Amino acid sequence: MKNTLRWLGVFVLLAGLPFLLGNYYNDVYRKMLLWVTLALGYNFLFGIGGQVSFSHFAFYGVGAYSIVIFLFQFHLPLPLAIVLGVALCVLVALAVAIPSTRLEGFYLALATLALAQLFVVVLNEGGAVTGGTGGLANYRLPDIFGVHITGPWYTAVIVFVLLMTLFILLKLDRSWFGRACRAVRDNPEAAAAMGINVARTKVIVFTLTSALAGVAGMAYAFVDNTVNPPIFGLENAFLILFMVIVGGSGRHAGAVIGAVLLFLLPFFLSPLVGHHHVLVFGLLVLGAILVAPKGLIGAVDFMKKKFS
Amino acid sequence: MNKTILQVNGLCKRFGGLTAVTQLDFEVGEGEILGMIGPNGAGKSTTFNVIAGTYAADAGEARFAGESLFGLAPHQIAARGVMRTFQHNRPFAGMPVIDNVMVGAHARFRSRLWNLLAESSFKEETAMRQKAEALVRFVGLGDLGDADVTTLSFGQGRLLEIARALAGEPRLLLLDEPAAGLTPDELARLAGIIRGIADRGIAVLLIEHDMHFLLPLAHRVVVLNFGAKIADGLPAEIRANRAVTDAYLGSEHAAAR
Amino acid sequence: MQDFLELAVSATASGCIYGLIALAYLLMIRPTGIINFAVGEWAMVSAFGGYVFLTKYEFPYPLGMAVVIAFMLLVGWVTERVAVRPLVEKGAPLLAPVLALLGVLVITREIISVSFPPDPLPVPFPFGFGRLEFGLVAGSYQSFFIIAVTVLVFVGAWFFFEKTLWGRSFEAVSLNRKAAALMGINLSRVTSLSFAGGAAMAGLGGLLVAPNVSAHYQMGVPLAIQGFTALVIGGVGRVEGALLGGLLLAFAEQFTTRYAPIASGYTQGVPLLLLMLFLLVRPTGLLRSK
Repeated sequence: MKNTLRWLGVFVLLAGLPFLLGNYYNDVYRKMLLWVTLALGYNFLFGIGGQVSFSHFAFYGVGAYSIVIFLFQFHLPLPLAIVLGVALCVLVALAVAIPSTRLEGFYLALATLALAQLFVVVLNEGGAVTGGTGGLANYRLPDIFGVHITGPWYTAVIVFVLLMTLFILLKLDRSWFGRACRAVRDNPEAAAAMGINVARTKVIVFTLTSALAGVAGMAYAFVDNTVNPPIFGLENAFLILFMVIVGGSGRHAGAVIGAVLLFLLPFFLSPLVGHHHVLVFGLLVLGAILVAPKGLIGAVDFMKKKFS
Repeated sequence: MNKTILQVNGLCKRFGGLTAVTQLDFEVGEGEILGMIGPNGAGKSTTFNVIAGTYAADAGEARFAGESLFGLAPHQIAARGVMRTFQHNRPFAGMPVIDNVMVGAHARFRSRLWNLLAESSFKEETAMRQKAEALVRFVGLGDLGDADVTTLSFGQGRLLEIARALAGEPRLLLLDEPAAGLTPDELARLAGIIRGIADRGIAVLLIEHDMHFLLPLAHRVVVLNFGAKIADGLPAEIRANRAVTDAYLGSEHAAAR
Repeated sequence: MQDFLELAVSATASGCIYGLIALAYLLMIRPTGIINFAVGEWAMVSAFGGYVFLTKYEFPYPLGMAVVIAFMLLVGWVTERVAVRPLVEKGAPLLAPVLALLGVLVITREIISVSFPPDPLPVPFPFGFGRLEFGLVAGSYQSFFIIAVTVLVFVGAWFFFEKTLWGRSFEAVSLNRKAAALMGINLSRVTSLSFAGGAAMAGLGGLLVAPNVSAHYQMGVPLAIQGFTALVIGGVGRVEGALLGGLLLAFAEQFTTRYAPIASGYTQGVPLLLLMLFLLVRPTGLLRSK
C-alpha cells in the first residue's frame, strides 16, 4: 500500500511538472523522459545483462513505425496496434538473439549493428508503407474514450511508460532473474554451474528490453506526430550506450543520470561546438572507461562516503 | 553402505591424442565423503568436469539417482541436484556475498518469469534470502553477507564457493580442491564444514591433492594415476597401500624437480 | 556469361576488401581477444589520407600509399597505447577495451567529419580508369590491382603466422597469456604490433576501395560489419578464412543486387542474413583451426 502510494506520488510529480512549463520546455522535458526510459532498458541489457547491443534504438523505431503503420495504414484499433507492435519487436529480437547468443563473444554486438544499419535501409526503401526517406506524418493519436490527449496531458502518458518500465525492471532486477543476468555477465561458466541457462537468459533479457524500447517508441510516435528514418540511425544507438557508460552501467540511477546529462549537454554545448557534440560524448566515454569505470554514479557514491 | 547416488562406469575421456581418463568406475553414496586423490594430471579434474557437464565423455556412463547425466548441459545437471565448486574461485564480482549465494539457489526458485511482478514471488525471495543467510553463517562468513565479494580473502572466497553450491540444495556436491591455499586454521574449519555437509545426507565427491587433509576426512578414497584408478578403499587401506604411496611420492618428486 | 564473369571479377575485388578488413580484426583478436569495431573507421581515415596525399598534394601513388600506411601504423599504435593498454594493465574485463574502442570509433569519425567538407571526396586510381581483358575475364584496372595486392598481403600474412617466430608468438599469446609470458614472449609488444598491423590492414582496405566509392565519413560502419561477417563466415582459426569469408560475402551481395528483384539498398541485409545463417549452422566458420 505504502509502495503504491509512493509510485503514485512520483507519477503525480513527474506528470504535474509540464503543466508549469511552456510548450517548448514541455517538449524538451518529455523527450528527456523518453531517453531516460530507453537508458533504463538499455542499462538492464548492457549494464546488468552484460550484452553490447546497437539495436536498442532501432527497436524504439520499430515500435514508433509499427504503431503508426498499424493504426493509419492498416486502420487497426489502438489496443491491437500496440499488441502487434510489441509482438513485432519480440519476433525480430528473437530472430537476432537466438543465433547470436549461442556463442561467447561479441556476436550480438555485431548482429545488432547490422540490424540497426538494415533497419534504416528498410525505412528508406519501404515505399508507401514506411513513407520512404520522408517518413510518415500528418497523423494524430486516436481519441481514447472520446478524449483527445495532447500537450502536457500526453506527457503524462510518457511518464506512465517511464514508470511502468522502471517498475518492471526493478522487480526483475530484485529477483532470481536479475541475479541470473548479473551472474551471466560476471562469469558465464560459473553461472551455468549454478543451474542458469546462459543462452536463454541472454535471449530473454535482450527480447524483453527490446520490447520495452518498442513501447517507448510507440509513445514517441505521438510526440512530434511524425516518424522519419534519420532519427533511428546508428548515432542514437551509440548515444544510448554512452549514456549508460557515463552514468554508471549496472545501476538504474546511473542510467537516469547519464541520460539526463547527455540529453541536456548539447543544449549547452552547441554555442561552443555546433553540432559536433558527439565528439565531446566520445571523449567523455573514453574518459569514463579509463578513469571512472563506475561512471558518475560511482563518483556520487564516493563523495557520499567521503562526506558522511 | 548408504544408498548409491552417483554411479560412474567405464568413463573415458580423451583430448586429441591424449588420454585423460580411462575406464574409470566408482560410486558415491548419500552422506558419504568420497575422496579422489592423485598427482597433478591424474585425471581428477577431468572426471569432475565430465560429471558436471563441462566436458563430454568419450565412453562410459554416469548415473545420478538412476538418470544418465551424459548429454545434459551443465545447468541441467545443476538443476538435478549436482552442484560444484571451482578449483579457482569464481565469484560473481558485481554482487555482494549474499547475492552470490542466492545465485546458487537459482534452480530452486518456483516463481516463473511472468509472475515475478506478483507479491508471491516477493515472499519466495525473502524466504530464499533467509536460507542463504543461514548458509553464509554455516560456512562461517556470518557477518560478511553484505560485503563486496572482491574484498574477501582467498580463504573466505573458498568458503563462499561452498556456500553458493550448497544453496542449490545439492544431493551430490563436487568439491574441486577446496583446501588448496588455505591456512592450517582454515583447513580445520573446512574439514568441519565438509563433515557437516555429509551429515545432512549430501554425497560429497572431494578432489584433493593434499593427502594429509583428505585421508582423515574421507569415508572412502579413490586413487587415480595417469587417468586410471590404481586403488579404491578405506583411508587406512590407502595409507598402507604401497603402490599408492609409490605413485604418489614418485610423481611428487617429479613435480618438485 | 561475360556479364557473369564481369560481375565475378568485381565481386572478387570487393571480397578482397572485406578480407583485408577481416584480417585486421583477426590480427587483433588473435593475441588479445579484443574485437575492435573501429576498423571500419580506420579504413575511412585511410581513404581520407588518400584524398589528402594523392588528390590534394598529388604525391606519386607508391609514395602516397606508403605515407598513408605508415600513418595508419602510427594510428593503430597510438590507439593501443591510449585506449587498450591502460585497461589491460589494470586487469579490466575484456569488455572495457572493446567499449573504449567504440569511444575511439566515434571520436575518429567526428574528427574527420569536423576536418573535411561533408561531400564525398575523390581519391585517384593508381593506374587510371581503364579495363583489362583476359579473354572472357574482364574488369577494371582497380579490380585487378585490389586482387593482386590482397593476394600478396594474404600470402604474407599466412607466411607470418605459419612460418615465422613472431607469428607463432601471436598464436601462443592467444592460447595462453600466462604461458606465453613465461616463454619470454613480450606481451605488450605483441599487442602493440597487432594493433599497428590491424590498422595498416584496415587502412590498406580503405585506400584500395576509396577510388571506387570516394572518401566519406560514413563509409566506416558498413565496412566494419562486412569485415566482421567475413570473419565469422571464414572462421577465426585460420588466416585464409578471412579472405574466403570476404569472397563469399561479396559474391552473395553482388549476385543478390544483380539477380534478385529487390531494391539495391537491401543488399545491406545480406551480411546480417549470412551472419545469422552461419551462427546457426556453422558457428566455427567454414575453415576449422588446425
